[in-house]
Amino acid sequence: MSSSITLIENLNRDYICALDSLDMSAWLACFNLKGRYTFISEENERRGFPIAFMLDDCYERLQDRVTQVVEIQSDSTEHYQTRHFTQLVSVSETDNGLINAVFNYSIYYTQRDNNLTKILCVGQYFDTIKLDGDNASYIERKAVTDTNVLPRYTAYPV
Amino acid sequence: MSSTPGNEPLLEWPAKYNEVPKQVFEMDELWPKELETIFYGAEWHPIVHRAEIPNPGDYKAAELGEMPIFAVHGDDGAIRVFQNTCTHRGTSLVTESSGNKKEFECPYHRWLFSLEGDLVGCPNSRDFTPDFDKKNFSLFQLRTEEFCGLYFVTMSDKTPPLKEYLGESFYEPLSRVLGGDGRLKLAGYQKVMYDCNWKAYCDNDGYHAPLLHKAFALLNWQGGKGFQRISENGHLTFESELKIPDEITALKDGSILDFKGTTTSTGSIVQMQFPLTVYSKHMDMLNIRYAFPKGPKGIEVHYAYFTHEDDNDEMIRHRIRQSSNLLGPCGLISMEDASVFSRIDKGNKTPGNAIFQKGVQDEYALSFEVKQNDESGNLPRWEHYRKLMGFKRAAQ
Ligand code: FES
Ligand SMILES: [Fe+2]
Repeated sequence: MSSSITLIENLNRDYICALDSLDMSAWLACFNLKGRYTFISEENERRGFPIAFMLDDCYERLQDRVTQVVEIQSDSTEHYQTRHFTQLVSVSETDNGLINAVFNYSIYYTQRDNNLTKILCVGQYFDTIKLDGDNASYIERKAVTDTNVLPRYTAYPV
Repeated sequence: MSSTPGNEPLLEWPAKYNEVPKQVFEMDELWPKELETIFYGAEWHPIVHRAEIPNPGDYKAAELGEMPIFAVHGDDGAIRVFQNTCTHRGTSLVTESSGNKKEFECPYHRWLFSLEGDLVGCPNSRDFTPDFDKKNFSLFQLRTEEFCGLYFVTMSDKTPPLKEYLGESFYEPLSRVLGGDGRLKLAGYQKVMYDCNWKAYCDNDGYHAPLLHKAFALLNWQGGKGFQRISENGHLTFESELKIPDEITALKDGSILDFKGTTTSTGSIVQMQFPLTVYSKHMDMLNIRYAFPKGPKGIEVHYAYFTHEDDNDEMIRHRIRQSSNLLGPCGLISMEDASVFSRIDKGNKTPGNAIFQKGVQDEYALSFEVKQNDESGNLPRWEHYRKLMGFKRAAQ
Protein backbone atom coordinates (compact mmCIF):
# COMPACT_ATOMS: atom_id res chain seq x y z
CA MET A 1 0.00 0.00 0.00
CA SER A 2 2.77 2.46 0.84
CA SER A 3 4.17 2.31 -2.69
CA SER A 4 0.72 2.85 -4.15
CA ILE A 5 0.27 5.87 -1.86
CA THR A 6 3.40 7.32 -3.36
CA LEU A 7 1.97 6.79 -6.85
CA ILE A 8 -1.31 8.40 -5.84
CA GLU A 9 0.45 11.37 -4.28
CA ASN A 10 2.65 11.76 -7.36
CA LEU A 11 -0.37 11.71 -9.63
CA ASN A 12 -2.10 14.33 -7.52
CA ARG A 13 1.06 16.44 -7.54
CA ASP A 14 1.26 16.26 -11.32
CA TYR A 15 -2.38 17.28 -11.47
CA ILE A 16 -2.19 20.33 -9.22
CA CYS A 17 1.12 21.49 -10.67
CA ALA A 18 -0.38 21.23 -14.16
CA LEU A 19 -3.25 23.51 -13.13
CA ASP A 20 -1.13 25.99 -11.20
CA SER A 21 1.10 26.39 -14.23
CA LEU A 22 -1.91 26.22 -16.55
CA ASP A 23 -0.35 23.44 -18.55
CA MET A 24 -3.54 21.91 -19.88
CA SER A 25 -1.87 19.10 -21.78
CA ALA A 26 -0.17 18.01 -18.56
CA TRP A 27 -3.61 18.16 -16.91
CA LEU A 28 -5.04 15.92 -19.64
CA ALA A 29 -2.12 13.52 -19.25
CA CYS A 30 -3.27 12.69 -15.70
CA PHE A 31 -6.32 10.88 -17.13
CA ASN A 32 -6.40 7.62 -19.00
CA LEU A 33 -8.63 6.97 -22.02
CA LYS A 34 -11.54 6.03 -19.74
CA GLY A 35 -11.00 9.25 -17.79
CA ARG A 36 -13.78 11.47 -16.49
CA TYR A 37 -13.68 14.80 -14.69
CA THR A 38 -16.49 16.49 -12.76
CA PHE A 39 -16.54 19.77 -10.87
CA ILE A 40 -19.77 19.92 -8.88
CA SER A 41 -21.17 21.79 -5.88
CA GLU A 42 -21.54 20.01 -2.56
CA GLU A 43 -25.20 21.10 -2.58
CA ASN A 44 -26.00 19.32 -5.85
CA GLU A 45 -23.96 16.27 -4.87
CA ARG A 46 -25.67 15.96 -1.47
CA ARG A 47 -29.16 16.47 -2.86
CA GLY A 48 -28.62 14.09 -5.76
CA PHE A 49 -28.77 16.73 -8.50
CA PRO A 50 -26.52 15.92 -11.44
CA ILE A 51 -25.86 19.46 -12.69
CA ALA A 52 -22.15 20.25 -12.46
CA PHE A 53 -19.99 23.29 -13.13
CA MET A 54 -17.94 21.12 -15.47
CA LEU A 55 -18.93 17.67 -16.64
CA ASP A 56 -16.36 15.90 -18.76
CA ASP A 57 -17.78 12.41 -18.84
CA CYS A 58 -15.59 10.95 -21.58
CA TYR A 59 -12.07 11.39 -22.89
CA GLU A 60 -13.26 13.52 -25.82
CA ARG A 61 -14.83 15.96 -23.36
CA LEU A 62 -11.53 16.16 -21.49
CA GLN A 63 -9.82 17.01 -24.76
CA ASP A 64 -12.49 19.63 -25.47
CA ARG A 65 -11.92 21.11 -22.00
CA VAL A 66 -8.33 21.73 -23.04
CA THR A 67 -9.50 23.36 -26.29
CA GLN A 68 -11.97 25.52 -24.39
CA VAL A 69 -9.34 26.84 -21.99
CA VAL A 70 -6.48 27.18 -24.45
CA GLU A 71 -8.20 28.27 -27.64
CA ILE A 72 -11.79 29.32 -27.18
CA GLN A 73 -11.83 31.40 -24.03
CA SER A 74 -8.24 32.48 -23.59
CA ASP A 75 -8.73 36.03 -24.86
CA SER A 76 -11.78 36.94 -22.78
CA THR A 77 -10.67 35.37 -19.50
CA GLU A 78 -9.25 37.70 -16.88
CA HIS A 79 -6.41 35.42 -15.97
CA TYR A 80 -6.01 34.35 -12.37
CA GLN A 81 -3.15 32.46 -10.80
CA THR A 82 -4.25 29.49 -8.73
CA ARG A 83 -2.48 27.63 -5.94
CA HIS A 84 -3.86 24.24 -5.00
CA PHE A 85 -3.25 22.86 -1.50
CA THR A 86 -4.20 19.24 -1.00
CA GLN A 87 -4.15 16.63 1.71
CA LEU A 88 -4.74 12.91 1.23
CA VAL A 89 -7.39 11.82 3.74
CA SER A 90 -8.45 8.36 2.59
CA VAL A 91 -7.24 5.51 0.38
CA SER A 92 -8.84 2.15 -0.29
CA GLU A 93 -8.62 -0.58 -2.87
CA THR A 94 -11.70 -1.69 -4.77
CA ASP A 95 -12.60 -5.32 -5.59
CA ASN A 96 -11.45 -4.96 -9.16
CA GLY A 97 -8.01 -3.68 -8.23
CA LEU A 98 -8.60 0.04 -8.60
CA ILE A 99 -7.81 2.63 -5.94
CA ASN A 100 -10.29 5.01 -4.39
CA ALA A 101 -8.71 8.08 -2.83
CA VAL A 102 -10.04 11.24 -1.23
CA PHE A 103 -8.07 14.46 -0.98
CA ASN A 104 -9.13 17.65 0.78
CA TYR A 105 -8.33 20.70 -1.29
CA SER A 106 -8.26 24.44 -0.88
CA ILE A 107 -7.55 26.65 -3.83
CA TYR A 108 -6.44 30.27 -3.68
CA TYR A 109 -6.49 32.61 -6.62
CA THR A 110 -4.74 35.85 -7.35
CA GLN A 111 -6.03 38.13 -10.05
CA ARG A 112 -3.52 40.05 -12.07
CA ASP A 113 -5.54 43.26 -12.09
CA ASN A 114 -5.53 43.84 -8.33
CA ASN A 115 -3.05 41.22 -7.10
CA LEU A 116 -5.28 40.37 -4.16
CA THR A 117 -5.46 36.76 -3.07
CA LYS A 118 -8.77 35.13 -2.23
CA ILE A 119 -10.15 31.64 -1.83
CA LEU A 120 -11.58 30.20 -5.02
CA CYS A 121 -13.07 27.10 -3.41
CA VAL A 122 -12.60 24.45 -0.78
CA GLY A 123 -13.72 20.85 -1.00
CA GLN A 124 -12.72 17.27 -1.69
CA TYR A 125 -11.48 15.28 -4.64
CA PHE A 126 -13.02 11.83 -4.98
CA ASP A 127 -10.68 9.81 -7.15
CA THR A 128 -10.79 6.47 -8.89
CA ILE A 129 -7.27 5.60 -9.93
CA LYS A 130 -5.79 2.91 -12.09
CA LEU A 131 -2.34 1.65 -11.15
CA ASP A 132 -0.32 0.03 -13.88
CA GLY A 133 3.15 -0.84 -12.69
CA ASP A 134 4.76 2.51 -11.94
CA ASN A 135 2.06 4.40 -13.73
CA ALA A 136 -1.03 5.91 -12.09
CA SER A 137 -3.85 7.64 -13.93
CA TYR A 138 -7.36 8.87 -13.21
CA ILE A 139 -10.39 6.95 -14.28
CA GLU A 140 -12.31 9.59 -12.44
CA ARG A 141 -11.54 12.75 -10.54
CA LYS A 142 -14.61 14.38 -9.05
CA ALA A 143 -14.04 17.74 -7.40
CA VAL A 144 -16.90 18.40 -4.99
CA THR A 145 -16.83 21.97 -3.72
CA ASP A 146 -18.15 23.07 -0.34
CA THR A 147 -18.09 26.58 -1.81
CA ASN A 148 -21.59 26.29 -3.24
CA VAL A 149 -21.45 29.87 -4.49
CA LEU A 150 -18.31 30.38 -6.51
CA PRO A 151 -16.70 33.79 -5.94
CA ARG A 152 -16.17 34.44 -9.66
CA TYR A 153 -16.59 32.77 -13.02
CA THR A 154 -14.20 29.90 -13.25
CA ALA A 155 -12.30 29.37 -16.44
CA TYR A 156 -10.03 26.51 -15.45
CA PRO A 157 -10.71 23.09 -13.97
CA VAL A 158 -9.89 22.82 -10.27
CA MET B 1 -23.68 65.83 -8.93
CA SER B 2 -23.91 62.77 -6.70
CA SER B 3 -25.59 64.31 -3.68
CA THR B 4 -27.75 67.37 -3.72
CA PRO B 5 -29.73 68.90 -0.89
CA GLY B 6 -33.49 68.59 -0.57
CA ASN B 7 -35.45 66.36 -2.88
CA GLU B 8 -33.37 66.94 -5.99
CA PRO B 9 -32.85 63.70 -7.88
CA LEU B 10 -29.43 62.16 -7.39
CA LEU B 11 -28.67 62.08 -11.06
CA GLU B 12 -29.58 63.90 -14.25
CA TRP B 13 -30.18 61.67 -17.24
CA PRO B 14 -28.68 62.52 -20.66
CA ALA B 15 -30.99 64.03 -23.30
CA LYS B 16 -30.29 61.23 -25.73
CA TYR B 17 -32.22 58.01 -25.28
CA ASN B 18 -29.24 55.88 -26.29
CA GLU B 19 -27.01 57.22 -23.53
CA VAL B 20 -26.79 55.88 -19.99
CA PRO B 21 -24.72 57.74 -17.40
CA LYS B 22 -21.91 55.44 -16.25
CA GLN B 23 -22.39 56.79 -12.74
CA VAL B 24 -25.61 54.83 -12.52
CA PHE B 25 -23.51 51.70 -12.03
CA GLU B 26 -21.26 53.28 -9.45
CA MET B 27 -23.35 55.43 -7.11
CA ASP B 28 -23.99 53.45 -3.94
CA GLU B 29 -26.55 56.03 -2.81
CA LEU B 30 -28.97 54.87 -5.51
CA TRP B 31 -29.45 51.52 -3.79
CA PRO B 32 -31.96 52.52 -1.05
CA LYS B 33 -34.12 54.20 -3.67
CA GLU B 34 -33.86 51.16 -5.97
CA LEU B 35 -34.95 48.93 -3.11
CA GLU B 36 -37.97 51.09 -2.42
CA THR B 37 -39.14 51.75 -5.97
CA ILE B 38 -38.12 48.54 -7.73
CA PHE B 39 -37.53 45.60 -5.40
CA TYR B 40 -40.27 46.61 -2.94
CA GLY B 41 -42.30 48.40 -5.60
CA ALA B 42 -44.91 47.40 -8.15
CA GLU B 43 -42.92 44.64 -9.90
CA TRP B 44 -43.23 40.84 -9.90
CA HIS B 45 -40.16 38.83 -8.93
CA PRO B 46 -39.85 35.07 -9.58
CA ILE B 47 -38.86 33.15 -6.45
CA VAL B 48 -39.31 29.44 -6.96
CA HIS B 49 -40.55 26.86 -9.42
CA ARG B 50 -42.76 24.09 -8.05
CA ALA B 51 -40.14 21.63 -9.32
CA GLU B 52 -37.67 23.04 -6.80
CA ILE B 53 -39.95 22.25 -3.85
CA PRO B 54 -42.07 19.35 -5.18
CA ASN B 55 -43.13 17.77 -1.85
CA PRO B 56 -45.09 19.00 1.17
CA GLY B 57 -42.66 20.52 3.65
CA ASP B 58 -40.07 21.41 1.01
CA TYR B 59 -38.86 24.97 1.34
CA LYS B 60 -36.46 27.30 -0.44
CA ALA B 61 -34.95 30.45 1.03
CA ALA B 62 -34.41 33.54 -1.10
CA GLU B 63 -34.12 37.29 -0.87
CA LEU B 64 -36.26 40.06 -2.23
CA GLY B 65 -34.04 43.11 -2.27
CA GLU B 66 -32.52 42.89 1.20
CA MET B 67 -35.50 41.11 2.72
CA PRO B 68 -35.08 37.41 3.55
CA ILE B 69 -38.04 35.32 2.42
CA PHE B 70 -38.81 31.65 1.93
CA ALA B 71 -41.21 29.62 -0.17
CA VAL B 72 -42.92 26.55 1.31
CA HIS B 73 -44.89 23.70 -0.18
CA GLY B 74 -47.84 23.30 2.21
CA ASP B 75 -49.61 20.14 3.33
CA ASP B 76 -52.53 21.37 1.25
CA GLY B 77 -50.34 21.39 -1.88
CA ALA B 78 -50.29 25.18 -2.11
CA ILE B 79 -47.02 27.09 -2.36
CA ARG B 80 -46.75 30.21 -0.20
CA VAL B 81 -43.99 32.74 0.22
CA PHE B 82 -43.30 34.22 3.67
CA GLN B 83 -40.95 36.75 5.13
CA ASN B 84 -38.22 34.78 6.86
CA THR B 85 -38.91 36.18 10.29
CA CYS B 86 -40.66 35.01 13.42
CA THR B 87 -43.73 37.10 14.21
CA HIS B 88 -42.66 37.31 17.87
CA ARG B 89 -39.38 39.20 17.97
CA GLY B 90 -38.10 38.64 14.50
CA THR B 91 -35.63 35.74 14.64
CA SER B 92 -35.09 34.25 11.19
CA LEU B 93 -36.89 30.95 10.80
CA VAL B 94 -35.00 29.05 8.12
CA THR B 95 -31.24 29.14 7.95
CA GLU B 96 -30.50 26.69 5.13
CA SER B 97 -30.96 27.54 1.46
CA SER B 98 -33.41 24.64 1.12
CA GLY B 99 -34.74 21.64 2.98
CA ASN B 100 -37.81 19.84 4.23
CA LYS B 101 -39.64 20.48 7.51
CA LYS B 102 -42.87 19.38 9.13
CA GLU B 103 -43.28 22.78 10.75
CA PHE B 104 -41.15 25.82 11.46
CA GLU B 105 -40.08 26.25 15.03
CA CYS B 106 -38.43 29.46 16.17
CA PRO B 107 -35.52 28.50 18.44
CA TYR B 108 -35.74 31.65 20.58
CA HIS B 109 -39.05 31.25 22.48
CA ARG B 110 -40.27 28.16 20.65
CA TRP B 111 -43.13 29.63 18.68
CA LEU B 112 -44.26 27.03 16.19
CA PHE B 113 -45.62 27.74 12.71
CA SER B 114 -47.37 25.32 10.36
CA LEU B 115 -46.33 24.86 6.74
CA GLU B 116 -49.26 27.13 5.90
CA GLY B 117 -47.81 29.89 8.06
CA ASP B 118 -50.25 29.67 10.99
CA LEU B 119 -48.98 30.12 14.52
CA VAL B 120 -49.91 26.78 16.08
CA GLY B 121 -48.00 26.89 19.33
CA CYS B 122 -46.42 29.42 21.69
CA PRO B 123 -45.39 28.36 25.22
CA ASN B 124 -46.50 30.44 28.23
CA SER B 125 -49.01 32.44 26.27
CA ARG B 126 -51.20 32.99 29.35
CA ASP B 127 -48.60 35.60 30.40
CA PHE B 128 -48.93 37.44 27.07
CA THR B 129 -50.87 40.64 26.45
CA PRO B 130 -54.54 40.25 27.52
CA ASP B 131 -55.96 40.24 24.00
CA PHE B 132 -53.22 38.06 22.50
CA ASP B 133 -54.65 35.86 19.76
CA LYS B 134 -52.58 33.37 17.78
CA LYS B 135 -54.63 34.20 14.70
CA ASN B 136 -53.00 37.62 14.55
CA PHE B 137 -49.50 36.20 14.51
CA SER B 138 -49.36 34.13 11.33
CA LEU B 139 -46.22 34.49 9.25
CA PHE B 140 -46.15 37.53 6.96
CA GLN B 141 -47.21 36.22 3.57
CA LEU B 142 -46.30 37.94 0.32
CA ARG B 143 -48.71 38.48 -2.52
CA THR B 144 -48.02 35.62 -4.90
CA GLU B 145 -49.03 34.56 -8.42
CA GLU B 146 -48.07 31.51 -10.41
CA PHE B 147 -47.35 30.90 -14.10
CA CYS B 148 -46.43 27.44 -15.49
CA GLY B 149 -45.35 26.36 -12.02
CA LEU B 150 -43.20 29.46 -11.43
CA TYR B 151 -44.16 31.54 -8.38
CA PHE B 152 -43.72 35.31 -8.38
CA VAL B 153 -44.05 37.74 -5.48
CA THR B 154 -44.63 41.45 -5.16
CA MET B 155 -44.60 43.79 -2.18
CA SER B 156 -47.15 46.15 -3.71
CA ASP B 157 -50.89 45.69 -4.01
CA LYS B 158 -50.80 48.05 -6.99
CA THR B 159 -48.84 45.63 -9.19
CA PRO B 160 -51.12 44.55 -12.06
CA PRO B 161 -52.05 40.86 -12.29
CA LEU B 162 -49.02 38.80 -13.34
CA LYS B 163 -50.10 37.99 -16.90
CA GLU B 164 -50.97 41.60 -17.57
CA TYR B 165 -47.66 42.69 -16.09
CA LEU B 166 -45.65 40.27 -18.25
CA GLY B 167 -47.73 40.70 -21.38
CA GLU B 168 -48.52 37.93 -23.85
CA SER B 169 -45.40 38.54 -25.93
CA PHE B 170 -43.40 37.67 -22.82
CA TYR B 171 -45.35 34.96 -21.06
CA GLU B 172 -46.02 32.88 -24.17
CA PRO B 173 -42.29 32.26 -24.87
CA LEU B 174 -41.73 31.94 -21.11
CA SER B 175 -44.14 29.01 -21.09
CA ARG B 176 -41.87 27.31 -23.64
CA VAL B 177 -38.78 27.96 -21.51
CA LEU B 178 -40.73 26.30 -18.71
CA GLY B 179 -41.21 23.17 -20.80
CA GLY B 180 -44.52 24.20 -22.39
CA ASP B 181 -46.66 23.12 -19.47
CA GLY B 182 -44.45 23.75 -16.46
CA ARG B 183 -44.10 20.02 -15.69
CA LEU B 184 -40.44 20.28 -14.86
CA LYS B 185 -37.98 18.46 -12.64
CA LEU B 186 -35.09 20.25 -10.98
CA ALA B 187 -31.72 19.03 -12.27
CA GLY B 188 -29.61 21.28 -10.04
CA TYR B 189 -28.03 24.68 -9.61
CA GLN B 190 -24.89 26.54 -10.47
CA LYS B 191 -24.35 29.46 -8.09
CA VAL B 192 -21.86 32.25 -8.50
CA MET B 193 -21.08 35.75 -7.32
CA TYR B 194 -20.40 38.39 -9.93
CA ASP B 195 -18.42 41.43 -8.97
CA CYS B 196 -20.62 44.14 -10.43
CA ASN B 197 -23.62 46.34 -9.82
CA TRP B 198 -26.90 44.54 -10.52
CA LYS B 199 -27.66 46.80 -13.45
CA ALA B 200 -24.37 45.93 -15.13
CA TYR B 201 -25.45 42.31 -14.82
CA CYS B 202 -28.90 42.73 -16.31
CA ASP B 203 -27.69 45.07 -19.03
CA ASN B 204 -25.31 42.42 -20.30
CA ASP B 205 -26.66 39.02 -19.41
CA GLY B 206 -29.51 37.65 -21.39
CA TYR B 207 -29.16 38.59 -24.97
CA HIS B 208 -26.37 40.54 -26.60
CA ALA B 209 -24.63 40.62 -29.92
CA PRO B 210 -22.85 37.32 -30.63
CA LEU B 211 -19.55 39.07 -31.40
CA LEU B 212 -18.41 38.41 -27.85
CA HIS B 213 -18.51 34.71 -28.32
CA LYS B 214 -15.46 33.35 -29.96
CA ALA B 215 -17.03 29.92 -29.46
CA PHE B 216 -19.76 30.80 -31.96
CA ALA B 217 -17.22 31.63 -34.62
CA LEU B 218 -14.99 28.73 -33.79
CA LEU B 219 -17.89 26.32 -33.95
CA ASN B 220 -18.99 27.97 -37.19
CA TRP B 221 -22.27 28.60 -35.44
CA GLN B 222 -24.13 31.47 -36.96
CA GLY B 223 -27.31 32.81 -35.50
CA GLY B 224 -30.42 31.84 -37.42
CA LYS B 225 -33.35 34.10 -38.14
CA GLY B 226 -34.85 35.74 -35.13
CA PHE B 227 -36.39 38.75 -33.47
CA GLN B 228 -36.54 40.75 -30.25
CA ARG B 229 -39.70 41.94 -28.54
CA ILE B 230 -39.62 44.63 -25.90
CA SER B 231 -42.28 45.95 -23.60
CA GLU B 232 -42.70 49.39 -22.13
CA ASN B 233 -42.07 48.09 -18.63
CA GLY B 234 -38.68 46.79 -19.62
CA HIS B 235 -39.15 43.09 -20.37
CA LEU B 236 -37.32 41.71 -23.37
CA THR B 237 -37.72 38.50 -25.33
CA PHE B 238 -35.31 37.29 -27.93
CA GLU B 239 -36.07 34.31 -30.07
CA SER B 240 -34.16 32.70 -32.90
CA GLU B 241 -33.61 29.60 -34.92
CA LEU B 242 -30.44 27.70 -34.26
CA LYS B 243 -28.07 27.05 -37.08
CA ILE B 244 -25.59 24.55 -35.82
CA PRO B 245 -23.33 23.07 -38.49
CA ASP B 246 -23.66 19.34 -39.12
CA GLU B 247 -20.03 18.83 -38.36
CA ILE B 248 -18.26 20.63 -35.58
CA THR B 249 -14.56 20.27 -36.20
CA ALA B 250 -13.38 22.37 -33.27
CA LEU B 251 -14.75 19.86 -30.75
CA LYS B 252 -14.01 16.17 -30.44
CA ASP B 253 -17.41 15.57 -28.85
CA GLY B 254 -19.94 17.64 -30.74
CA SER B 255 -22.85 15.87 -29.07
CA ILE B 256 -23.10 18.46 -26.31
CA LEU B 257 -24.30 20.88 -28.99
CA ASP B 258 -27.04 18.59 -30.30
CA PHE B 259 -30.51 20.01 -30.49
CA LYS B 260 -32.95 17.20 -29.87
CA GLY B 261 -36.04 19.35 -29.62
CA THR B 262 -38.70 18.79 -32.20
CA THR B 263 -38.63 22.16 -33.95
CA THR B 264 -35.70 24.40 -34.76
CA SER B 265 -37.90 27.48 -34.80
CA THR B 266 -37.54 27.77 -31.06
CA GLY B 267 -33.93 26.71 -30.84
CA SER B 268 -33.07 29.73 -28.76
CA ILE B 269 -35.21 31.82 -26.41
CA VAL B 270 -33.65 34.35 -24.08
CA GLN B 271 -35.80 36.55 -21.89
CA MET B 272 -34.95 39.32 -19.48
CA GLN B 273 -37.70 40.18 -17.05
CA PHE B 274 -37.41 43.55 -15.37
CA PRO B 275 -35.59 44.19 -13.15
CA LEU B 276 -33.04 41.38 -13.42
CA THR B 277 -34.22 37.83 -14.12
CA VAL B 278 -33.06 35.92 -17.18
CA TYR B 279 -34.84 32.88 -18.57
CA SER B 280 -33.30 30.90 -21.37
CA LYS B 281 -33.90 27.91 -23.53
CA HIS B 282 -30.90 27.27 -25.73
CA MET B 283 -31.07 24.00 -27.58
CA ASP B 284 -32.33 21.59 -24.90
CA MET B 285 -31.36 23.58 -21.79
CA LEU B 286 -34.19 24.94 -19.65
CA ASN B 287 -32.77 27.61 -17.38
CA ILE B 288 -33.96 30.20 -14.87
CA ARG B 289 -31.35 32.63 -13.52
CA TYR B 290 -32.49 33.89 -10.15
CA ALA B 291 -30.42 36.94 -9.31
CA PHE B 292 -29.88 38.50 -5.90
CA PRO B 293 -28.12 41.85 -5.62
CA LYS B 294 -25.90 42.04 -2.54
CA GLY B 295 -26.36 45.75 -2.04
CA PRO B 296 -25.07 48.18 -4.67
CA LYS B 297 -22.03 46.02 -5.43
CA GLY B 298 -22.02 42.34 -6.20
CA ILE B 299 -24.77 40.08 -7.46
CA GLU B 300 -25.32 36.42 -6.67
CA VAL B 301 -26.79 34.45 -9.55
CA HIS B 302 -28.39 31.04 -9.15
CA TYR B 303 -28.67 29.23 -12.47
CA ALA B 304 -31.42 26.63 -12.00
CA TYR B 305 -31.63 23.90 -14.65
CA PHE B 306 -34.54 21.64 -15.37
CA THR B 307 -35.53 18.52 -17.21
CA HIS B 308 -39.11 17.75 -18.28
CA GLU B 309 -41.26 15.10 -16.61
CA ASP B 310 -41.81 13.41 -19.99
CA ASP B 311 -38.10 13.15 -20.85
CA ASN B 312 -36.69 9.69 -21.46
CA ASP B 313 -33.33 8.72 -19.93
CA GLU B 314 -31.41 9.75 -23.02
CA MET B 315 -32.96 13.20 -23.06
CA ILE B 316 -32.31 13.69 -19.34
CA ARG B 317 -28.67 12.75 -19.77
CA HIS B 318 -28.39 15.05 -22.77
CA ARG B 319 -29.91 18.04 -20.97
CA ILE B 320 -27.60 17.50 -18.01
CA ARG B 321 -24.43 17.29 -20.14
CA GLN B 322 -25.46 20.31 -22.15
CA SER B 323 -26.47 22.45 -19.17
CA SER B 324 -23.36 21.55 -17.18
CA ASN B 325 -20.98 22.43 -19.98
CA LEU B 326 -22.46 25.23 -22.04
CA LEU B 327 -24.03 27.70 -19.60
CA GLY B 328 -23.23 29.26 -16.25
CA PRO B 329 -20.03 30.56 -14.70
CA CYS B 330 -17.85 28.00 -16.48
CA GLY B 331 -19.89 27.47 -19.65
CA LEU B 332 -18.52 27.18 -23.15
CA ILE B 333 -20.97 29.73 -24.54
CA SER B 334 -21.50 31.92 -21.51
CA MET B 335 -18.31 32.32 -19.52
CA GLU B 336 -17.37 35.33 -21.65
CA ASP B 337 -20.59 36.99 -20.55
CA ALA B 338 -19.41 36.71 -16.98
CA SER B 339 -16.08 38.23 -17.84
CA VAL B 340 -17.87 41.20 -19.37
CA PHE B 341 -19.89 41.91 -16.20
CA SER B 342 -16.85 42.71 -14.13
CA ARG B 343 -14.99 44.44 -16.96
CA ILE B 344 -17.96 46.68 -17.69
CA ASP B 345 -18.10 47.50 -14.02
CA LYS B 346 -14.44 48.46 -13.90
CA GLY B 347 -14.69 50.48 -17.09
CA ASN B 348 -17.67 52.40 -15.81
CA LYS B 349 -15.63 54.03 -13.08
CA THR B 350 -14.85 56.68 -15.69
CA PRO B 351 -16.79 59.86 -16.48
CA GLY B 352 -19.40 60.20 -19.18
CA ASN B 353 -22.07 58.01 -20.67
CA ALA B 354 -22.27 54.50 -22.01
CA ILE B 355 -23.52 54.98 -25.56
CA PHE B 356 -25.66 52.43 -27.37
CA GLN B 357 -25.31 52.37 -31.16
CA LYS B 358 -26.56 49.30 -32.94
CA GLY B 359 -30.15 49.72 -33.99
CA VAL B 360 -30.49 53.33 -32.82
CA GLN B 361 -32.21 55.36 -35.55
CA ASP B 362 -33.16 58.47 -33.63
CA GLU B 363 -31.17 59.37 -30.55
CA TYR B 364 -33.98 61.55 -29.24
CA ALA B 365 -36.76 58.99 -29.38
CA LEU B 366 -37.42 55.63 -27.83
CA SER B 367 -38.09 52.93 -30.38
CA PHE B 368 -39.71 49.57 -29.85
CA GLU B 369 -38.78 48.46 -33.36
CA VAL B 370 -35.69 46.43 -32.78
CA LYS B 371 -33.96 43.96 -35.04
CA GLN B 372 -32.51 40.66 -33.94
CA ASN B 373 -28.98 41.76 -33.10
CA ASP B 374 -29.66 45.37 -32.09
CA GLU B 375 -28.39 46.51 -28.73
CA SER B 376 -31.13 49.13 -28.62
CA GLY B 377 -33.43 46.47 -27.12
CA ASN B 378 -31.98 47.45 -23.74
CA LEU B 379 -33.12 51.06 -24.01
CA PRO B 380 -36.79 50.65 -23.02
CA ARG B 381 -35.60 49.01 -19.81
CA TRP B 382 -33.37 51.98 -19.07
CA GLU B 383 -36.23 54.34 -19.78
CA HIS B 384 -38.47 52.38 -17.42
CA TYR B 385 -35.74 52.49 -14.78
CA ARG B 386 -35.20 56.24 -15.26
CA LYS B 387 -38.89 56.94 -14.78
CA LEU B 388 -39.20 54.75 -11.69
CA MET B 389 -36.18 56.44 -10.14
CA GLY B 390 -37.49 59.91 -10.98
CA PHE B 391 -34.40 61.07 -12.88
CA LYS B 392 -35.06 64.03 -15.17
CA ARG B 393 -33.93 63.81 -18.75
CA ALA B 394 -31.73 66.79 -19.66
CA ALA B 395 -33.10 69.27 -22.21
CA GLN B 396 -32.14 68.52 -25.79
S1 FES C 1 -38.48 35.46 18.49
FE1 FES C 1 -39.35 33.68 17.74
S2 FES C 1 -40.28 32.80 19.43
FE2 FES C 1 -39.52 34.67 20.20
FE1 LIG D 1 -23.68 35.52 -24.27
